Amino acid sequence: MSHFFYFFFGFVAVLLALLLWSLRSPKKQAYSSLDPTAFQGPDRSHATYLSQIHRALAPADFEFLASRGSAGLARRVRKQRHRIALLYLSSVQEDFQKLLRLARVIAILSPEVGAAQEFERLWLGVQFSLRCHMIRIRLFCGIASLPQLSGLSQMASGFAVRMETAIAELGERAALATELTSSLESRDIRPR
Amino acid sequence: MMVTTAFMQQSLWALNSAGEVVLLTLLVVRKNHPSYPAFSFYVFVDLTVGAAQLFVYRHWGFDSDIAYRFGWGTQGMVLLARALAVAEVCRHVLSRYRGVWALVWRALVLVAGLVFSYSILFARHDWRLAFPSAYRALELSIASIVVTLLIFVRHYDVKTELQDRSLAIGFCLYSCFAVLNNTLLERLLDDYSVFWNLLGRLTFLASLSLWTWALRNPIFQVDPRKILLPQGVYQSLTPEINLRLHLLNEQLSRFWPAEAKHP
Repeated sequence: MSHFFYFFFGFVAVLLALLLWSLRSPKKQAYSSLDPTAFQGPDRSHATYLSQIHRALAPADFEFLASRGSAGLARRVRKQRHRIALLYLSSVQEDFQKLLRLARVIAILSPEVGAAQEFERLWLGVQFSLRCHMIRIRLFCGIASLPQLSGLSQMASGFAVRMETAIAELGERAALATELTSSLESRDIRPR
Repeated sequence: MMVTTAFMQQSLWALNSAGEVVLLTLLVVRKNHPSYPAFSFYVFVDLTVGAAQLFVYRHWGFDSDIAYRFGWGTQGMVLLARALAVAEVCRHVLSRYRGVWALVWRALVLVAGLVFSYSILFARHDWRLAFPSAYRALELSIASIVVTLLIFVRHYDVKTELQDRSLAIGFCLYSCFAVLNNTLLERLLDDYSVFWNLLGRLTFLASLSLWTWALRNPIFQVDPRKILLPQGVYQSLTPEINLRLHLLNEQLSRFWPAEAKHP
């Protein structure tokens, strides 16, 4: 069979796969992206727990356990801290998703959006998601070394605090706009 | 075998025409036609073309040159009407979000243009297949537009009405199947022509059922008036958010190579 035959069948297969993916219900969220509560979040952002995570990942702990305790104990603690690292990764991802949602609401409510900004964000989202999956796989398999993750935490700490403030500031404005929009929508439903 | 196939073809033709009459009646009775003028026009055109084709085939014969030209010529009209109906669905779904819509419709036009050009380039360059090739390229463009639209809808987490979603899915499935059907026709030519017609009608019947189900009730419209953010908000906040996203991404990318050095 010639190449054109495969081309069209392949193209349609990709389209159908994308159609299914786009119709799949999004991951269960406690709120929709146009819900003002989406930006309020917990009283403390995940980022503020970075110092505790940093401590939990310190190599000194493992050295101490290896010298004073048994190898089994050190292994168990390492496993537990891998789990902590995974949870930390999830929270970084949550921060990222929160920012993405905020950016989408702003785009939806804006009279004009920039193509470059929108596609940049789309690309960043894809990159971030892929990286998270790769790191998660490595952590899950126990390949990742904890000191490096600790380095990541240190890098993130300064930024995370600034991000928390920004989310609060931006969230207030977007929440106000969406509140106004949803109250208007609920009043103005009428048959066409 | 031939008699059975011919009977099935005629039955499906009758069934599709009856389905279209039901759908048009529903559109009018439920007063949904003002909301979907292009879609109503498409169903009407398809019904009329079907009746005209029946007349031509009976008068000049199915295998005549006139029937061939008339068949493909009228298919062009139907396809144009379908393209308008798809554009209408796209507008319904996203035009309320002015800024995003301005971006999306340009992206959709670009996608349609690229897919059309590629389809023409990849087609077998045989003059006998000029009509089917152009038809397939347009069908592929329509399917790509619908899929791209739904990807944008998912990306922006926009709420869509059941009717719009069902119309979009029906158009996409029909177009995808039309592409496969035409590709097989191009490959197998005369051996496949009977099944090509039969399968095409079956797919249309499936889409028609989906549309009829979706439009069985009157549509309620959300008032298009929206509170939009002031002009400068997007320009001032979005680069800032993107920068923050970039920094978060950067953290992961720095972690990755450093971690890779320490197995």
